[in-house]
Amino acid sequence: MRAVEDALGIQIPENARLIRNIMEGIQYIQDHVIHFYHLTALDWVDVVSALSADPAQTAALAQSLSDWPLSSEAYFKGVKDRLTAFAESGQLGILANGYWGHPAYKLPPEANLMATAHYLEALDWQKDVIRIQAIFGAKNPHPQTYLVGGMSCPVDPDSQNAINATQLAEVQRLFAKARDFVERVHIPDLLAVASFYKDWAAIGGGLGNYLVYGDFPMTASQSSDQPGDLFLPRGMILNKDLSTVHPVDQQQIAESVTRSWYEYSDDTIAKHPWDGETSPNYTGPQPPYEWLETEQKYTWIKAPRYQDMPMEVGPLARMLVAYASGHERVQHWVNTALGALDVGPEALFSTLGRVAARGLETAVLAEKVTDWVDELTANMGSGDLRVTNTEKWDPATWPEEAMGWGWTEAPRGALGHWVRIKNGAISNYQCIVPSTWNASPRDAEGNPGAYEAALVDGTPVEDPELPLEILRVIHSFDPCMACAVHVTDPERNEITRIQIV
Amino acid sequence: MAKIAIDPVTRIEGHLRIEAQTDGGMVTDAWSSSTMFRGMELVLRDRDPRDAWVFAQRI
Repeated sequence: MRAVEDALGIQIPENARLIRNIMEGIQYIQDHVIHFYHLTALDWVDVVSALSADPAQTAALAQSLSDWPLSSEAYFKGVKDRLTAFAESGQLGILANGYWGHPAYKLPPEANLMATAHYLEALDWQKDVIRIQAIFGAKNPHPQTYLVGGMSCPVDPDSQNAINATQLAEVQRLFAKARDFVERVHIPDLLAVASFYKDWAAIGGGLGNYLVYGDFPMTASQSSDQPGDLFLPRGMILNKDLSTVHPVDQQQIAESVTRSWYEYSDDTIAKHPWDGETSPNYTGPQPPYEWLETEQKYTWIKAPRYQDMPMEVGPLARMLVAYASGHERVQHWVNTALGALDVGPEALFSTLGRVAARGLETAVLAEKVTDWVDELTANMGSGDLRVTNTEKWDPATWPEEAMGWGWTEAPRGALGHWVRIKNGAISNYQCIVPSTWNASPRDAEGNPGAYEAALVDGTPVEDPELPLEILRVIHSFDPCMACAVHVTDPERNEITRIQIV
Repeated sequence: MAKIAIDPVTRIEGHLRIEAQTDGGMVTDAWSSSTMFRGMELVLRDRDPRDAWVFAQRI
């Protein structure tokens, strides 16, 4: 959308800017909390250990961390009883198939029970707060009301057929609920769990280069080059050096396919996405296979590079650039966390830093989003009901040829689209999504991508048949979902297959 | 020494496979592989640019 708007020189109305920020804001908050509790917590929290927790001590622990009301002995006893009933019937359901009992789990049973209780609470919470996306976007996921030029959801405080005063009040109520959970449950849990895993502040750092396109425009965007003041700023941190924030130039990005299942007219030359090619050419082993040919091409992901450098993207990158740029609220939350854990900023360049940054970003946004609802409400109150700029909707107003690029920060990181338009149709479209950066393979020079570099940066594997530590590193980037593991020991030539959460 | 494969680590738009070499209880080399072709770029070619976001949103 931004790529097309950039190509055609379209500026969106203020209300569209605010609605896009609000919808993206709740998406971040929901995604990040789901990631923490449902996608990575079980790498750190042993649910089976929670079965031996003392509910009274769990209540004391929870009350020492937060004044969240669901923290009585009776409440935690109830959660424990439910878990015990499931476990005894052999039906752990979504909690089955973990590496329970792995020696890398360090939390006492009471912390495990508390975190498991909040895992369950977060399931209910997330389905409520994401209704904000449905209010503006008609549904979630895949909201339907975006439009080149703005938004297609009408706003009018007095109409039953538009976003009106009643719905704005509901949005504010849900944002208050979102912030309450983040500040009284999510952040205290994050800090409590992290305090047992401080050794992970020196594991899985990896590249040390961080790229941020920036997002949440606070003022009108003129073009992708002039995006307005961004709440989360654009910039780069190189070699873990927080003293300098480098500018970002989209012309410096190029993708290579030397190790990817594509062919370019010349495989050795990286291409800027405006000149990008998508010519699939699978040369890997025929499935089912045991191993990939990792010395040759081994993935469907291209290798994007910034001035030939591999980069990490995501919440850690955003928090580092904002922190180094002097962002007041980011500094507040990051310093609060560093102080609570008694570590310095260098701890951020790690697996633990990646998990923590995602939580801290959630807190920063949860306290900001309501400002955008207030601004939208004020605009509507003053009679500004515009949500779309249709001046260039008609293709007859377009030039014969146009090219543009659009950037956003998805919850998982920097996301860019590049488009060429010819005679009213797309002649080339290239996407570089966050996981293209983070899950990148080697490039033409043999430099690894972010996951690959993080895994070889001090990641232990205590038991190769239960590679919990690898999951911690990979999950910290938020690629999510369930996995199946195959393990081979070349000496014993033994293959096992393990289903994991 | 052991070689480990985790497959799939699925993502929204496809699947992820991790191969890792371990030695002495540490990861010594690692490869990240997406095992599914996305091809959104080919889906979008020749379409109305005003529709691009609806397709790209599915990534």
